[in-house]
Amino acid sequence: MGKAFDPSLIVDFIPTLIYYLGVTLQILAASVLLGMVIGIAAAILRLFRIPVLNQLVILYISFIRGTPILIQLFLVFYGLPAILLFINIDISRMDALYFVIITYALSNGAHFAEIFRGAIKAVDYGQTEAAYSVGMNNSQSFFRIVLPQAIRIAFPNIANSIIGSLKDTSLAFTIGVMDMMGRGETLIAATAHALEVYLSLAVIYYAVVLVFEKIFRLYENRINRHQTVDVSVTG
Amino acid sequence: MIYLKDIQKSFNQQPVLKGINLKIGKGEVVTILGPSGSGKTTLLRCLNFLEKPDEGIVQVGDIQVKSKKATKREILSLRRQSAMVFQHYNLFAHKTVLENVMEGLIVTKKYKKAEAKRESELLLEKVGLGDKHNYFPSQLSGGQQQRVGIARALALNPEVILFDEPTSALDPELVGEVLSVIKAIAQEGITMVIVTHEMSFAKEVSDRVLFMDGGVIVEEGSPLEIFNAPKEERTRQFLNRISRDFSVSFLEERAN
Ligand SMILES: Nc1ncnc2c1ncn2[C@@H]1O[C@H](COP(=O)(O)OP(=O)(O)O)[C@@H](O)[C@H]1O
Ligand SMILES: [Mg+2]
Repeated sequence: MGKAFDPSLIVDFIPTLIYYLGVTLQILAASVLLGMVIGIAAAILRLFRIPVLNQLVILYISFIRGTPILIQLFLVFYGLPAILLFINIDISRMDALYFVIITYALSNGAHFAEIFRGAIKAVDYGQTEAAYSVGMNNSQSFFRIVLPQAIRIAFPNIANSIIGSLKDTSLAFTIGVMDMMGRGETLIAATAHALEVYLSLAVIYYAVVLVFEKIFRLYENRINRHQTVDVSVTG
Repeated sequence: MIYLKDIQKSFNQQPVLKGINLKIGKGEVVTILGPSGSGKTTLLRCLNFLEKPDEGIVQVGDIQVKSKKATKREILSLRRQSAMVFQHYNLFAHKTVLENVMEGLIVTKKYKKAEAKRESELLLEKVGLGDKHNYFPSQLSGGQQQRVGIARALALNPEVILFDEPTSALDPELVGEVLSVIKAIAQEGITMVIVTHEMSFAKEVSDRVLFMDGGVIVEEGSPLEIFNAPKEERTRQFLNRISRDFSVSFLEERAN
């Protein structure tokens, strides 16, 4: 059992913990950006049914969706060095932060891939035909016409996914990353005021999520200000 | 110049084009009439390989493609000979009116941005949308959207512009503005192939009229020949029906 509940401690803890928000945001930013690249690539492999790779992507997505992120984190943390050791690369001393980023990038990539795939399919095929009719090739029509519209369609789901990912980063401490959560654990060890620490963390995460939601909403309104994306089916 | 030889196309073993032969000279305006399902749209789409013919030769300008051996590269160069105006406009939904017209110039004609902009502004002026540059397609009426579609096609300065029922998705009161734009550009000597159900428009604008039914060209001739003295029974029936229940068939087409 910890010590008697002392709410005034929360006021002390929040600034101490917020100092580590940077690490959390760093993990989030890196894993979201990498996840976007993985997600778009995986969605393309799925949509164009590239042999072999398509099946691998299906397996990858289903594995990520079907296993807890905590297990994925441990698998990467213990598994990746073991695999790389086979080819004589020793990463056992690599900063734990990178394992976290790799895990979350893979996780985000799988979720983004499904979101993008749905969004790309939701763009009216007439848009592609119009692009062909003005003389574009496949990649021009995809990157200039279809993808920008798909990103707009995908945005609300991507935003939700990013917020989920932000909260998931709170597991990074389990492999020794000193983010807000990691610092919280050390505070608990030092003060034995667990409840106050977790309340402080809850306040910070909640505030950050609210800020993100606000930013996403503003951005969404901006991209939709003058237009509704045409997803109607051409007859 | 357009040259089609023995174009055949089936969907699910169902023949839709049964060997179309056709030559269209430079500057000619050709309209295609025919009942719904007769293969008009498919024929038009074979001209720019939005539909790949199973059989036959397609030539537009100096690019000739044999359907069976068509490579990606050949299809791309064939497509760059033509432009298309779609029944449902198909404007790029995330781009403004001006950007819609500029897009082809920048991407396929390699124009500099400023040049493309100047050119596009002139064309928008010409279709009567000089004041709508920064609108998005969703903010325009159907008639305005279709006029943007026409400007987008004109910008490419193609060998031929293909129109697939350009007015049949429009509210009746907006049909006129689009047809008058098409008439105006027809007079500039641009080669055009137009699928339409607007008979008086076809009469007025065409150098030649084709009547299609069941995947073949049943009859062709000058507007005078086709409308006043059709030789084939099927043509006669079609024209009678169209003039008799014009409003009904018009509504049917719109529902399709
Ligand atoms: N993509 C397609 N898949 C299957 N059948 C099609 C497709 N496109 C057209 N068809 C069929 O081909 C026939 C001719 O269609 P279409 O060329 O659109 O005729 P029209 O334009 O004269 O009304 C119709 O029976 C139609 O159902
Ligand atoms: Mg049609």
